Amino acid sequence: MVSKLTHLQVELLEALLESGLTKETLIKALSEAEPYGLQSESQRAINALQTEKGEPCPDIPNLPNGMGESRVSEDETSDDGEEFTPPIMKELENLSPEEAAHQKAVVERLLQEDPWRVAKMVKSYLQQHNIPQREVVDTTGLNQSHLSQHLNKGTPMKTQKRAALYTWYVRKQREVAQQFTHAGQGILTDEPMGDDLPTKKGRRNRFKWGPASQQILFQAYERQKNPSKEEREALVEECNRAECIQRGVSPSQAQGLGSNLVTEVRVYNWFANRRKEEAFRHKLAMDTFSGPQPTPAPPLTPHSSSSLQPPPALSPSKVHGVRYNQQPASEAESSSSNHHGNSSMVTTQTILQQVSPPGLEPSQNLLSTDTKLVSAPGGTLPPVSTLTALHSLEQSPHTLSQQTQNLIMASLPGVMAIGAGETPSLAPAFTNTGASTLVIGLASTQPQSVPVINSMGSSLTTLQPVQFSQQLHPSYQQPLMQQVQSHINQSPFMATMAQIQNPHALYGPKSEVTQYTHTGLLPQTMVITDTANLSALTNLTPTKQAFTPDSETHTESGMHTPVSQAPTIHLQNQDTTIQHLQPGPRLTSSPAVSSSSLVLYQSSDATNSHSQLLPSTHNVIETFISTQMASSTQ
Amino acid sequence: AGKAHRLSTEEREQLLPNLRAVGWNEVEGRDAIFKEFHFKDFNRAFGFMARVALQAEKLDHHPEWFNVYNKVHITLSTHDCGGLSERDINLASFIEQVAASLS
Repeated sequence: MVSKLTHLQVELLEALLESGLTKETLIKALSEAEPYGLQSESQRAINALQTEKGEPCPDIPNLPNGMGESRVSEDETSDDGEEFTPPIMKELENLSPEEAAHQKAVVERLLQEDPWRVAKMVKSYLQQHNIPQREVVDTTGLNQSHLSQHLNKGTPMKTQKRAALYTWYVRKQREVAQQFTHAGQGILTDEPMGDDLPTKKGRRNRFKWGPASQQILFQAYERQKNPSKEEREALVEECNRAECIQRGVSPSQAQGLGSNLVTEVRVYNWFANRRKEEAFRHKLAMDTFSGPQPTPAPPLTPHSSSSLQPPPALSPSKVHGVRYNQQPASEAESSSSNHHGNSSMVTTQTILQQVSPPGLEPSQNLLSTDTKLVSAPGGTLPPVSTLTALHSLEQSPHTLSQQTQNLIMASLPGVMAIGAGETPSLAPAFTNTGASTLVIGLASTQPQSVPVINSMGSSLTTLQPVQFSQQLHPSYQQPLMQQVQSHINQSPFMATMAQIQNPHALYGPKSEVTQYTHTGLLPQTMVITDTANLSALTNLTPTKQAFTPDSETHTESGMHTPVSQAPTIHLQNQDTTIQHLQPGPRLTSSPAVSSSSLVLYQSSDATNSHSQLLPSTHNVIETFISTQMASSTQ
Repeated sequence: AGKAHRLSTEEREQLLPNLRAVGWNEVEGRDAIFKEFHFKDFNRAFGFMARVALQAEKLDHHPEWFNVYNKVHITLSTHDCGGLSERDINLASFIEQVAASLS
């Protein structure tokens, strides 16, 4: 249809459409207002709309927040033969074939772009608007795993499927734009306005806290844990405003947030959950230091095989707060690779507790123990939200320190596993010459260890933001260092670890030591013990940090080895035995595993100067050494 | 609308360089930023203004501007705080996006 519109009219129309005006609305406005007089004019406008659809296309990928995606009706592309996208195709919103064609044109254009670029765009849009992947999956019929991999990692996706995704994207932008446009007016059309989802399931998306809101909440939480209703309402306003800004819309349109709209109830629940979390962590802390726990014992007994020796006699005097009286006999664990996870858990706890060698014993049940661990302190599971809180924000860590540790210990079996992995391997390492032992402990040993590691990886990620206050005291440093050194030199294990570590080889030296603690995104779990491990540990921490290309390529087990290498480097300087990793081990999950087994290095505090690191390192080493010593005393 | 508090020095250091890089300059004598846009013709220029106008309404934050045929001069400042604020930055970013899409 030939448009008789002037260029300016075309421009104005485009501007209107891009601002979120829907075609129906425009037509309605035209017919209702009738100041324009003739129906024919409206008709021409409509024609103009249809013919102009091509023009804004180039803008679409670049326009923010879907503002450019104002094309109205849903696309009824059922005739496309895209059988796998029935849900999205069946949407009735197709008000005009021209709109559908326009949307198709946009989708076509997107399909011709670099898929990864578009994927990034779509992904950032999802993040910006806090849209759950489930919604996309439901409407596009794509496989969620495939979708996730495509968006996050760039896994290739066939054109037809990408078309479905882009179609969803295009429509969603329009919907959201409409939502926000009408938010202030309180108008809800029958389009998926008040409900982000197609009414297929008649269900709203689950509410999800956005990062901006969480930041505000955590700050408020630090100020006061129990806000009054007025304060909560103020927070509601603040959060909604922040969420709107994040989406690039005016805060007066907060209703457009839809299912993610923050209300007093949400805020109330959030505070309640955080209080519960803190109480739980506090409880864990109390329980942790209350002495040897009966829990570990039972699990240990079964396995104590004694190939390793003596027990805890090694506990360095420095180590205090031995949590587990792990009988060395449990060394048997070393034999049972499966328990790596367990031992790691034990170790972890040990270390956290600054326990000594007991860590060696492999509470076989570590894996199963996580529940036990949890129960040990008090038999209560932490609120699920705990983990979320832990790994969501940086601010939260401040108050968490000790509690965090316990929490992590209790609630993140993966972490335990990490440490545990080491323990068992330690024993054998000492006795065997197989340098690989350590790594093996983690990786080679048994398939079980692998899953442990993997879980650890994930748990590490969750742990990240948690910060532990440095619990190890510098006083231990000196002697430790020496011990460590000697140990390092002597044990093949250490050598292995050193080899495995190779942190700086993997990642360019980065001065992240300071940064690392600052961000608070780094997991603060501590544990690990030898310097070699420490370097690995540092690798572990910044799980959340951007994965540099290096780290990404290297992490096989899903551990996102952190970028910050500074601490590692320092450590390495001190410990000459730490060598570069061999490509071999690295290719396997072991390297990651080993690092993971190390348990995260606990960053002390923000200042995090090297000197500070060292001390903590020492402490860590100390614990580790104790374990080593224990095993070596055999 | 967004926050109307005047930007602190650190915030300015953080936010303004990006804008300066694309041509926004600080105005002498007042706390505001200014930029001149050129378009192919009046239609484009006004189309740009229309888009910006719609967004300004949405954000509840309006620019001071002048238009002559294909040129548009825009000055951004926040009256509520008597200087630059987040709102100006937001609108400036949006303006940049629109201008980019139109040229």
